[in-house]
Amino acid sequence: MIQASHLTRRFGQRTAVNDVTFEVGRSEIVALLGPNGAGKTTTLRMLAGLIAPTSGSIAIDGHALTRATGGTLRNRIGFLTEAPGLWDRLTIKENLRVYAGLYGLGDADRRIDRTLELFALQDRRATLAAELSKGMRQKVALARTLLHEPAVLLLDEPTSGLDPEVTRNFRMLLDERRAAGCAILVSTHNLDEAERLADRVAVLHERLVAIDEPAVLRARLTTGRVIVRVAGDPTVFVPTVQSIVGPAVVVAVDGTMLSVQLADADRQTPSIVTALVAAGARILEVRPEMPALEDVYLHLMENSLKPQASSVSPTPGAA
Amino acid sequence: MEITRVRALLAKEFLDLARNRSALVPVAIVTVMSLVLPFGIAIAVPAFSGHPLGEDADLVRVSQVAGAAENLSNDARIQLFLFQQFLMMFLITPVTGAMALASHAVVGEKQARTLEPLLATPVSTFELLTAKVLGALLPTLAISAIGLGLYLGGIAAFAAPGVAAAMASLRTLLLTILVAPAAALVSLQAAILISSRVNDPRTAQQFGVLIIIPLAALMVAEFSGSVWLSTAALAMIGASLVALWCLLSLCSVALFDRETILTRWR
Repeated sequence: MIQASHLTRRFGQRTAVNDVTFEVGRSEIVALLGPNGAGKTTTLRMLAGLIAPTSGSIAIDGHALTRATGGTLRNRIGFLTEAPGLWDRLTIKENLRVYAGLYGLGDADRRIDRTLELFALQDRRATLAAELSKGMRQKVALARTLLHEPAVLLLDEPTSGLDPEVTRNFRMLLDERRAAGCAILVSTHNLDEAERLADRVAVLHERLVAIDEPAVLRARLTTGRVIVRVAGDPTVFVPTVQSIVGPAVVVAVDGTMLSVQLADADRQTPSIVTALVAAGARILEVRPEMPALEDVYLHLMENSLKPQASSVSPTPGAA
Repeated sequence: MEITRVRALLAKEFLDLARNRSALVPVAIVTVMSLVLPFGIAIAVPAFSGHPLGEDADLVRVSQVAGAAENLSNDARIQLFLFQQFLMMFLITPVTGAMALASHAVVGEKQARTLEPLLATPVSTFELLTAKVLGALLPTLAISAIGLGLYLGGIAAFAAPGVAAAMASLRTLLLTILVAPAAALVSLQAAILISSRVNDPRTAQQFGVLIIIPLAALMVAEFSGSVWLSTAALAMIGASLVALWCLLSLCSVALFDRETILTRWR
């Protein structure tokens, strides 16, 4: 649906985006993560056809995005810009009506009404944009982005400034759009949001540092530690665990949890569980210790500053 | 060009203007001045002072430059001359309005951060600029036309006999339906061109207002009797302004650099 191939964008001597390649498939949400100035907005603007890449190419729905095709392809793209960009002296409905005209929507009134309903804005349709709160403005901007039912959604910091309830509704809405077949690329600083929302996470820092499912990214940082939670006092089972992993290995105890570093977690974990059950332990949970996405992100950012490039799998399923 | 897109943007411009009528105050003031000054000078002052215009030898001499109708009295001929000169003020009226509205056209959208979502739609640069030009031109011309109607109506009602009939000439027609709108178009297009190249509406206004200078010079030259714009001269000026507008339109589209506007403006 969205194909970015070796995208590079320079502004004078400064390289904002460097050789970025990735795809976003139909019914997929990809979160674009990166620090300020990482090139997220530039990437989105290139994908929206607002600025041209210095080199590389973009295809939307199989059609090359060029200066000549930009006008037509923008009909298939919904781009939520960083600022809501509403005309303050126009009402919510009037703002949407202008965009309905710009997209040439024949059944403008019906679509506007339906979109207003979707965002629970029916009662505010006659409110001037200038009178709206920041969250409401963002909501209207999102409604505007979805008005023409685009196949591709590009969202720049969509939940910035939104309260938790509106954020949750927004996530539900994106889930619906994904189910309807949309390809969605969302730039965000919010790692929690990225994890909840996205099928894959792309970490951008001028170049594409990593792109994969959140769980796979976290697994990259997995330390090989396994956590076992038992009912009752876990200290009594420390010798049992050491009988499997060796007496030199430290078994940490934290509340009802035993935590142990394993050389070969896949082979050793079942043996530990068997030994614990034989020793009378009532096991509540066994899981590998997984880093938070934040740890992965920080690790990737740290590595991205080093000269060598990380290996990146840009297409879904290729990771 | 998609008319529906231009219409949608034009509707936005009119709604915006309808809720921000103060933007039309400058053009309204110039229109009122264009009405008060000529009637004050040509009719009210002589009536109150008791000194008819025809008593002033200089005015009699200058009025003959205009080639005014020979069958008119000295008073009527001078009135005709003055009313013809003040008609030039209606060139400045739409230009003033154009400046007030058009200088905000692009840079205003950028400052309000409404330009990026707008450019993310299928709207072309030509469609966007057409809507911006018409959005500023039509209200300005409407106000100017009302002023002109009052002006001509006032002449018919208050001027000396024969003046109104003498005003109804091809020259007046050319000035009002060709030269004035064309001058407004040129100033508008120039303001929009500048508006899409600068970061600040005030800069656009300052550049755009430069077009007033040749118009004012023309007025002064006519008043002094050193220049008289004949019908043919006005037709040529009108045609030149239209040609200049076409050129500026092409330049506006060519120089409207979406990337620069989005990425370098702060």
